[in-house]
Amino acid sequence: MPAIDSISAEQVQTHVHNFWRVFSTKSKNEFSEQYVPSATIFTANTPRSESARLMVVRRARELFGPTSSVTAKLGTITVQILGPALAIASYPLHYCVTRTLPNGRRYRLDVPFLRATQIFVRDKDGVLRIIHEHMSSAEAVEPQELPENG
Amino acid sequence: MSDISPDEVRSEVQRFWAIFTGTSKDRIEELYSSDAIVFTGSAKRSDPATLASIRRTRQRAKAGSGSAAEVGAIEVQIAGPDVAIATYTYQFRSSARDRDGSTMQTHTQFGRATQVFQRDASGKLRIVHEHLSSAAPAKMEKSGQ
Repeated sequence: MPAIDSISAEQVQTHVHNFWRVFSTKSKNEFSEQYVPSATIFTANTPRSESARLMVVRRARELFGPTSSVTAKLGTITVQILGPALAIASYPLHYCVTRTLPNGRRYRLDVPFLRATQIFVRDKDGVLRIIHEHMSSAEAVEPQELPENG
Repeated sequence: MSDISPDEVRSEVQRFWAIFTGTSKDRIEELYSSDAIVFTGSAKRSDPATLASIRRTRQRAKAGSGSAAEVGAIEVQIAGPDVAIATYTYQFRSSARDRDGSTMQTHTQFGRATQVFQRDASGKLRIVHEHLSSAAPAKMEKSGQ
């Protein structure tokens, strides 16, 4: 059986950047593949954890439409290697999302101090996937309504 | 060395809060591995746990009538033979005396916690990563000068 190298910090950092590329390009299938099916998530403003499957469905509905956008500017990504197939990435980021509600109103949420923890496991095919994610804002933020033609 | 069990992790989470609220005299830094990283409630960046422990010990010393926590159901994911992830919600109340003699009471209603435990060479579970946050701003109230 061929030896499998341990996860490296560089691999995890590359994967985190790829995660945000997929998120901002709004590819639902590719986004869903970032998580193991049993992954649990604390999103920035939900009082309880939820399954990754539910979160993916909700994000796709709310954020992956043609009039929505997601941008993220990542800070330094700290990586902790816990085993040959397990690692934690933690980092601050500036996150900004614009979405249109079914009633046509547009909102922008700007989160300058989002904090992210993502725990990655390497699956049997050698692909890194998230088994747990915790996002939170260091400051309270409120969405702002955008002008109709803004 | 035995694999980690969910009950063992839940017991360590309860120990964390007993120390955090001052009902246990154990030292908070003993809970963490030497290179642990934490996101505390409102910090913009992560800190080494050693720094956060010093800050929390100071805050506890300043607290007036102390603090209390209610921990919700603790979910445990066993991520490997020596690693487990605990996730749960909590409520936290604390009070601290101000310089003017008044007391500031803080209530975190929607606390969320992720704590990653790893068994060290001596067999003890230590927190290697922690992310504490709140889904809504804590309520603060000043009383009694």
